[in-house]
Amino acid sequence: MSAVRKGPSLSLKTREAITGWLFVSPILTGFLIFFVGPLIAVFYYSTTEWNLLSQQSRFVGMANYVDALTRNETFWDVLVNSLVFAAGLVPLNMAMALGLALALSKSRPGAVFFRTVFFAPVITSAVAWAIIWTFLLQHESGAVNQGLSIFGIDGPNWLHEPDWAMVSVIFTRVLKTVGLNMILYIAALQSIPRDYEEAARLEGANGWEIFRRITWPLLAPTTLVIMVITVVGSLKVFDHIYLMTGGGPQNGTMVLAFYIYEQGFKFFNTGYAAALAVVLFALILMLTIVQMLLKASRK
Amino acid sequence: MSDFVIKRLIYSAAISASLGFAANTAIAEELRFTVWTGSEAHLQMLGEIADSFTATHPDVTVRFDTIPFGDYVQKITLQMAGGNPPDLGWLLENSAPAFVEAGALADVAETLKSTDGYDYADFSQPAMGLWETSDATYGIPFSTSPFLIYFNKSLYDAADLETPDQRVKDGTWTWEQLRADAKDLRDASSGIWGFETFDGQGYGSRVWHTLVPIIRAYGGSAWEGDSCKLDSSLAAQAVQLFHDMVYADGSTVPPGEQGDFFSGNAALTMTQISRVSKLSEATFEWGLAPLPFGPAGDASTVGQAAVVAFAQGKHKELAAEFLAHMTNKENVAKMAAFFPPARKSVLEANSFLTSNAAVAPEQMTFVAQGIENGSVLPSHQRFPQIEAEARPNFDALWSKDADVPATLKKLCSSISPLL
Repeated sequence: MSAVRKGPSLSLKTREAITGWLFVSPILTGFLIFFVGPLIAVFYYSTTEWNLLSQQSRFVGMANYVDALTRNETFWDVLVNSLVFAAGLVPLNMAMALGLALALSKSRPGAVFFRTVFFAPVITSAVAWAIIWTFLLQHESGAVNQGLSIFGIDGPNWLHEPDWAMVSVIFTRVLKTVGLNMILYIAALQSIPRDYEEAARLEGANGWEIFRRITWPLLAPTTLVIMVITVVGSLKVFDHIYLMTGGGPQNGTMVLAFYIYEQGFKFFNTGYAAALAVVLFALILMLTIVQMLLKASRK
Repeated sequence: MSDFVIKRLIYSAAISASLGFAANTAIAEELRFTVWTGSEAHLQMLGEIADSFTATHPDVTVRFDTIPFGDYVQKITLQMAGGNPPDLGWLLENSAPAFVEAGALADVAETLKSTDGYDYADFSQPAMGLWETSDATYGIPFSTSPFLIYFNKSLYDAADLETPDQRVKDGTWTWEQLRADAKDLRDASSGIWGFETFDGQGYGSRVWHTLVPIIRAYGGSAWEGDSCKLDSSLAAQAVQLFHDMVYADGSTVPPGEQGDFFSGNAALTMTQISRVSKLSEATFEWGLAPLPFGPAGDASTVGQAAVVAFAQGKHKELAAEFLAHMTNKENVAKMAAFFPPARKSVLEANSFLTSNAAVAPEQMTFVAQGIENGSVLPSHQRFPQIEAEARPNFDALWSKDADVPATLKKLCSSISPLL
């Protein structure tokens, strides 16, 4: 009978840790390769003058940042455009999402149908959505202006007039994305115990008071999540601009993500584009931290 | 069967499979060729050229990848940067200086000059200007295509107007006349526009294509050397004419509207001979005319595109061989049906005039004359940057109350540092 050789025994904690790491290793590997790696690479590339076409690169330190922040006037216009886009989209999106959620969260006739209607654009192809709206917003033959003409209103050339192009892309983007926030609000509303509302009604509270004193405070965690993802999404917007206006007219809808694309892939200034991407990253990070700090201070 | 025999069998099978795989990969080579056309007629013709290459190179196949025109340069650049460069591709004249300067194109001079019967000297020297230096060749123009006016003859006949080709004979085919025709043929109630800009992209990616021919006809130019000329009074007059067509007359498809000539929704348009393929199922009669004269006379404008082999391509030698095959006399004559050639022997042959069954020899004469008299669209090493600087200023032109001369002055001041 041969002797059974026993290896050094591992503690339960170690074995559980190894098992845990093994379970997360596939996603962790992907995360490191496809997310952390490129993120670090962008920081490195931002310190180089790298021409995508010639594939030549040299280290320039902080020169790209200095150029963007102190010499490039277009950069500041583009940054303002990005902030205007976010400032227009976020409140409108959140207000509409909340309004729709309040109207459609309870079991009413047609509620499921309308939830589907408002959520459908979220799962619609962004390309199809943008192209359809480009047709709808045509100056003379577009359905929007033809509808307005019934009421004697001469609609503008929505996507080709500087004053209206930004309004148009914000509004169509809100319609595309509001459904997701509506669903998040509906889920949050449905998780609020009915007892609170019933108790408040017994105390004589009206609908507005119930909303202001009970519903809105209990929605606060969801509101924070929605605000963060909507702000981040609005600052990163690219496809909508690319397809509907190409950053025009007169650079009126040229937002940061689109400007980065142009610098990197049209003018081949990849190092400079990487520096702009880092600025966008810093901006989003800063706004997210501010939102979280504001929320924490209210507690 | 013993373990030893089983193992030997497994090893043999594995080695045979590996060798077979290696042999297959060595045999089957695919050249990837990027183009911006999606036309079935064009792709069929290109496929026939590829098939004739495969006949002499049985182990080689050629795959044509269509990339939309507006994204073309960005996408191939990105593919090169991503380590997946095409082997060959089409390239427009305005991209040539930047690509040559960046070393992105392979020098194919040696292959072309050593290919039997190629006759390199047959290519028109002015046409080769952008693509060769004293000792290197970076591309062969496959299309030296003059801009033409397409007109809807059915609409002209219905309106009882003299057609542009008749006016060419009369010597009355001018830009002012085109403006008058477009105004007369505009029929808002039927959704018919008078004039559609170049491929309907005249306010975006084709704005230079749309304005430069008019500016040249008025005696102006976009830039000369490092000097911007768009702020000249001649350029302003030309752009004002186009602006008036859009806003004063309302005859031209404006920004934000669709009006496709090839679907019968516009009476006139300006584009190139290759677009004839879009008229194969036209439900109306159509005709061709050269660009109208302006105060400065005939100012034919030529758009040029070349076949290039990319320096980073994985099959550089094979790519150069295919480039030589594609641009030999026989294949250039075949392509001449859609893409007017830079080979003198093909251009001057009578067969060129009958190379496209859909185009009458008389109409093909306009093409030949346009090549002979025309000058290529402006190009520059920093064209993408120039385009980006110019874009917001061009955008500012497209409103009813735009001050055309002031806007062009501003445009010049923004692009001058880049010239």
